Amino acid sequence: MDAYFYIIMAVGLISTGICLAAGILKKAPNDLTILSVAAVELALVVYLVGSVVRVISGEPIAGEAWEFWGYLATAMLLPPAAVYWSILERTRWSNFVLAAVGVTALVMAARMNQIWY
Amino acid sequence: MKAAHSQATPDKASAKDTRNTGPGRLLIAVYAVFAISATARAGYQILTKFSEAPLAYLLSAFAALVYLVATVSLAKAGSTWFKVSLAAVLVELVGVVVVGALSVFDPVQFPHETVWSMFGRGYAFIPLLLPVLGLAWLYRRRPGKRKAEA
Repeated sequence: MDAYFYIIMAVGLISTGICLAAGILKKAPNDLTILSVAAVELALVVYLVGSVVRVISGEPIAGEAWEFWGYLATAMLLPPAAVYWSILERTRWSNFVLAAVGVTALVMAARMNQIWY
Repeated sequence: MKAAHSQATPDKASAKDTRNTGPGRLLIAVYAVFAISATARAGYQILTKFSEAPLAYLLSAFAALVYLVATVSLAKAGSTWFKVSLAAVLVELVGVVVVGALSVFDPVQFPHETVWSMFGRGYAFIPLLLPVLGLAWLYRRRPGKRKAEA
């Protein structure tokens, strides 16, 4: 597991924690929960930029390259999709939808690390 | 079939015959994630190593289809889509139980590589939990609960 994974793990778990707490407290999605999901997206962008730089500088991906990029692209679609879905109906349940983003990104980052090394 | 996109306002009309509200939206989101991951996984398996275990990979594709149908139908209003949802979730429940059991007893035909293998252990057993929650939600939001079925 590399630094990118740990960044996403930290940001993802914090985001999931914030959104779970907000959902349990019966709050509708607010700036805090949506920004925490945006932070997950930002962490994925960091992973993307870092990976592109590494590939350009000649570092090989051990596993299937297209599988790695497929995971990354799919992971990057999740935060905007979850935010969109959650603001269509702003109830506490939408915060649980947002909470799913962090852990899902974490699992996907773990898989991307496996593919890379 | 196209209309009835549930608005933010849970008024009487939309509150009636739809599953796309409240906890249902969380359920749909989780189903959507499984639809995407199962589709990607089945596609990958079939494109790269189909001959290794055709039956298991066809099951993967079938599971992906079930998740897709469940996701779409749960998001739609009306009693027809309710029936589609019910069928999809029941098939999902049977699938995860049967495939889960087969993968335990016949690991040769069922290498642990479908969403439903080992009762969804590779996915934190969410595949086993999901149809149960789905059925509970469908029951709570069943058409004709307060009014005769249209």
